[in-house]
Amino acid sequence: MLNEIVRMHDDLDRALAKPERQRSWVMVIDTRRCVQCFACVAACTAENVSPPGKPYRKVVEAEDGDYPDTDRFFMPSNCMQCDNPPCMKAANAHAKGAIQKRTDGIVVFNYEKLAGSGDAREAAKDACPYAAAIVEDQGGYHTEGTPRLEAYETRTFQEYDRTLRRTDTKGALRKCTFCQHRLANGMLPACVTTCEGRAMYFGDRNDPNSLVSELLRAHKGWRMYEEKGTRPRVYYVGYETRGTISVSTPAACAGCH
Amino acid sequence: MTGTFEETRANETMQEPGALLDCELSRRALLKSGALLGGSALLMSQLDAVFGLVRAAQAAPSAYPLALPENVIYSVCLQCHTACPIKVKILEGVAVKIDGNPYSAQNMIPHFEPSVPLARAARIDAKLCPKGQAGIQTLYDPYRIVKVLKRNGPRGSNQWKVIPFSQAVDEIVQGGTLFSALGEMHQVPGLKELYKLTDPALGKAMKTDAAATAKGKLSVADFKAKYPQHLGVLIDPDHPDLGPVNNQLVLQFGRIEHGRVELAKRWLAGSFGSVNFIEHTTICEQSHHIAYQQMTHQYKDGKWADGKTHMKPDAMNAEFILYFGTGFVEANFGPTPMIEKVTDGLASGRLKVAVVDPRLSKSAAKAWKWLPIQPGTDAALALAMTRWIIENGRYDAAYLKLANQAAAKAAGEPTWSNATHLVRMESDGPGKLLRATDLGIGGDEFVIIKDGKPVAVGKAPITGELEFSGELGGVRVKTAFTLLKEEARSRSLAEWSAICGIPAADIEAVARELTAHGKKAAVEFYRGPVQHTNGYYNAQAIITLNVLIGNADHKGGITTGGGHWHEVGDKLHGPFEMGKLHPGALTAFGHNITREKSRYEESTLFAGYPARRPWYPFSSNVYQEVIPSAEDSYPYGIKALWIHMGTPALATPSGDTALKVLADPSKIPLVFATDIVLGDTTMYADYVFPDTAIWERWGTPHAPPDVPAKASQFRQPTVTPLTEVVEVYGERQHCSMEAVMLAIGERLGLSGCGRSAFGPAGDFKRPEDFFLKFAANLAWGDKPGDAVPDASDAELKLFLQARRHLRPSVFDPSRWEAAAGKANWRKVVYLLNRGGRWEPWTDQFVTPQGQVVHKYGGVFNLYVENVARQKHSLSGRRFSGQGIYEPVRDAAGRAVEDAGFPLTLITYKEILGGQSRTLPNNYWLSSILPENYLLLNSRTAKEFGIRDEERVRLVSATNPAGEWKLPNRQNLAMVGKVKTVEGMRPGVVAVSWHFGHWGYGASDARIDGDTIPGERRRGTGLCPNAAMRVDPVLKNVCLTDPIGASSSFFDTRVRLEKV
Repeated sequence: MLNEIVRMHDDLDRALAKPERQRSWVMVIDTRRCVQCFACVAACTAENVSPPGKPYRKVVEAEDGDYPDTDRFFMPSNCMQCDNPPCMKAANAHAKGAIQKRTDGIVVFNYEKLAGSGDAREAAKDACPYAAAIVEDQGGYHTEGTPRLEAYETRTFQEYDRTLRRTDTKGALRKCTFCQHRLANGMLPACVTTCEGRAMYFGDRNDPNSLVSELLRAHKGWRMYEEKGTRPRVYYVGYETRGTISVSTPAACAGCH
Repeated sequence: MTGTFEETRANETMQEPGALLDCELSRRALLKSGALLGGSALLMSQLDAVFGLVRAAQAAPSAYPLALPENVIYSVCLQCHTACPIKVKILEGVAVKIDGNPYSAQNMIPHFEPSVPLARAARIDAKLCPKGQAGIQTLYDPYRIVKVLKRNGPRGSNQWKVIPFSQAVDEIVQGGTLFSALGEMHQVPGLKELYKLTDPALGKAMKTDAAATAKGKLSVADFKAKYPQHLGVLIDPDHPDLGPVNNQLVLQFGRIEHGRVELAKRWLAGSFGSVNFIEHTTICEQSHHIAYQQMTHQYKDGKWADGKTHMKPDAMNAEFILYFGTGFVEANFGPTPMIEKVTDGLASGRLKVAVVDPRLSKSAAKAWKWLPIQPGTDAALALAMTRWIIENGRYDAAYLKLANQAAAKAAGEPTWSNATHLVRMESDGPGKLLRATDLGIGGDEFVIIKDGKPVAVGKAPITGELEFSGELGGVRVKTAFTLLKEEARSRSLAEWSAICGIPAADIEAVARELTAHGKKAAVEFYRGPVQHTNGYYNAQAIITLNVLIGNADHKGGITTGGGHWHEVGDKLHGPFEMGKLHPGALTAFGHNITREKSRYEESTLFAGYPARRPWYPFSSNVYQEVIPSAEDSYPYGIKALWIHMGTPALATPSGDTALKVLADPSKIPLVFATDIVLGDTTMYADYVFPDTAIWERWGTPHAPPDVPAKASQFRQPTVTPLTEVVEVYGERQHCSMEAVMLAIGERLGLSGCGRSAFGPAGDFKRPEDFFLKFAANLAWGDKPGDAVPDASDAELKLFLQARRHLRPSVFDPSRWEAAAGKANWRKVVYLLNRGGRWEPWTDQFVTPQGQVVHKYGGVFNLYVENVARQKHSLSGRRFSGQGIYEPVRDAAGRAVEDAGFPLTLITYKEILGGQSRTLPNNYWLSSILPENYLLLNSRTAKEFGIRDEERVRLVSATNPAGEWKLPNRQNLAMVGKVKTVEGMRPGVVAVSWHFGHWGYGASDARIDGDTIPGERRRGTGLCPNAAMRVDPVLKNVCLTDPIGASSSFFDTRVRLEKV
């Protein structure tokens, strides 16, 4: 077995040696390998100090078929960092610059502007077809109302090159940043490194030698709601060959969509 | 009011630098009592570090501190027993994120060589399961206790007062009318009354003679005559084999692992002189371990001994794996090491898996075939497969014919079996293996048939006939293989199919697949098939499938894993050979309270059958028997029970029977506990000492056999413990299990504690005095030339930098250096800087010959003589040496049938939870899964008119009220929500096993007059254990496997009543 984590880190180092505009971040998810272990959700929550019960990342499940010919199907998702982000157009109509797009592909939320405009927040949430991708930080802590408010919740954390606390994001909309602060420090997104089934891949699509480029050449990847023209940066692979795995019938998706 | 003014002020000051939270919250966060965290312990201890780092962070706002090696300490998780190596990231003195350790073979494939710089390793995170990551929330659980509590009401009332540590230890040691303030005038015997036998020489002599008495080789009268002056040290001079009064202190461990195991055993047996060290294994998967052990026992000098208790598929190389009652995702020995090996094989097409489980688990979701079996019939399925494999000639006959090690060696096989060995047929079934002496053709050798004649199995390579049935020298004999074939053929495929509920076509398909990959196929099982009254037999029948294809030690077969370096220093004989560093150690002796590892027939209590309670000669750690045996005073009553990191009431089937005993001081006069919270069981203790949490303490857990590399992970403190600082032997240290042991040692003058406790190796006054010696042993390795390098100056500096937030009460470099030994220090630092050591990765750990690098290399007993010669202690009937199919039985061996209860109850674990911890108190996890359900197939639900989401009560023959009976508290209804699914076998109801707490912060506690309100979200869901069947013969314990001693979790018939 190859160490794909190290391979992707090497890919990352190559990408970071280039100017930002020459990088094109993409995420590739091999659903055959996802077992809904939730390691990614826990890692994301801890890394980004996301609001209680509102992780940036979700792994939903659906059951398909009658007993005993039954499948369980697992589907991870997060902000798709669309190249044509409906949220950006919608929010910025109410608060200019509330949502911006970086040249490497990451969609950036401006917390102050979003917190300041209820219309922008509503518009952004309504516009996103990936409903669960955007979460609203309404304040609150897991340990609020217990004998002690814990420091792991009130600590500083980093997002979009900023050092923040939860008090800074209260009232704003939040979402996956592809762990931009980790990327800037030569680290892969937290969901990628912790993935227990090695379903998560990340890298530079502009680099033909990157693992993600290799995967997207080898597989007929697809993107969620591609038909809506959002041009998402998250690709799913694994459906085209059922192989030895009994699940992964896209029909199961109908249960949620 | 125990919080001091200084602590309160410190807490308030803390809010300022970074405007941590708004004022309203901070006021609410302050708790009057100092017994729980209350803020003070954490903040006082970490104040300096915090201010320094906040300033640093403000100076360089864009730096990402968690990418830097000076903010990382490697340690080892214990949110489940997989004990994965972890990377703890520390910010402002607080552990804020936990990832996997990239140096560890358990977290990354292939893992880093130790030469990879620490700065690079800090940047590269390895994987870790969500429970491990949520360790942050066990460490910083707002309900953690930090001071010593003494009950201030009846046991279980959850009323407490904070008392000084030294007072608590004094009271426990001295005894007296300790609860007179509550109007309880009973005398509590102190530990000083139990520390009766104090002379090591006397203990050693008595042990030998007591054992002789038990075996009938020395009369009790002669024993008494030999020790007329010393009979007072015994529990009962008429039964010297019960051992000394010291045995009446019992330590019951819910979870204890290597490092603490060695420390606690050294203390309990060697310092205090009690044999009663009992872990939780029989509520976990003990019959699995016992079956592997019996099937791999080696016969030496007339005795069956040694063997392996645990083997796992080589999932990196296997082409087919059949899982019985377990999987690679949830529970088992850890998602972190297991999942990727399987998903990698599934995605590449290398591997196919099938899963036997009444529930469509996440593993089954990825399977080629899901086999929803009727619970408890695993042996029927395994025997059906065996029948098909034998009838179709798809077993490895060449392998099975190998009759000894020499034959295996000649054939290039690492292992062999006793398939060809002859078994004597007795009037009550197959008995002992035939010996050469029986036929006058040799001595104690086993006998095979070679060219139609009996031949003794000597040292020379020899193969035998697989099938033989006949008479030799007047004795009827059959080969082990013939017995297996006959057992498998005792029912038709259709009959086996009817028992296990798996269609014959599926049985054939799975048997064909298992035998279609040579040796690159494996059968794996864990808890599911064995937590039954027939658990041991199920296990033996399942392991037999592996033996039939001879896959052990082969690439893609079953393996014992890479093993570990030896922390006790017994291989290298240094630098600290711990076994020899306990001057004045006592030799503990006597039957255990649970009668484990003892034969009824070899005891002075033997008075024919039935015995009053079962004896468990094959098993250790019979957890469920501790408290019921104490209630029955069989074989003796106990005076003091120390419950450590465990909750026997919640976690044991029908565990509420134990609460009735625990609540009554006349049954067990002294109950004390070490715990991190007021747990569901520990709230019934007289005293609770706060323990250090996993991330604050030490340990040397061993890697599971799924890990192919030799591995020694090392647990070490990553943050300053939150528990109060206490003084023991003049040393300021945090309250912990170790501190309590040492403090008792200090009061009683126990050997092995305090000054020169390790003889020439120095004092044992603090935990690190012990554990850093283990670190030194690991660093030097198992043989000369096996040592890790010395840490460089730069690494030494980094070591100190990474620990700059630790207070002197836990970390003092010069003290640590002295404990580890000056000559070892740099090697120890090298080891600690990586959180352990791992063998470098080599070619998937397989040899060019297609075998695994780390081999078992022993025999497989297809027929287990050691079990066959033992009688059931109640029925008096011999056990079988084969993996037979049996229905559910009670302690007397009679079938149990509960008419009127139409469903079978099973439990399982979600990936997010362990048994009694993690869910629901780890909020990151419980916000994903806030409660559990009763899973029912939609057809079954329809049949009983139950709707999805409907609330029902779980009722059984021995719990018709459907509730947890909680003495001195309100009873707790066993009510939960039904979830109807397709992925469940009809007629079976499954309840996940994490919820339904009444303690652990789920209910109000009163401490020093303050009420600490319990949390609703910690009390959600349902724990089904109280519904599990109480044994109809014993009446105060669950049903149990008489051989493997596993407690029965999956045999109870239940009914769901609408509420």
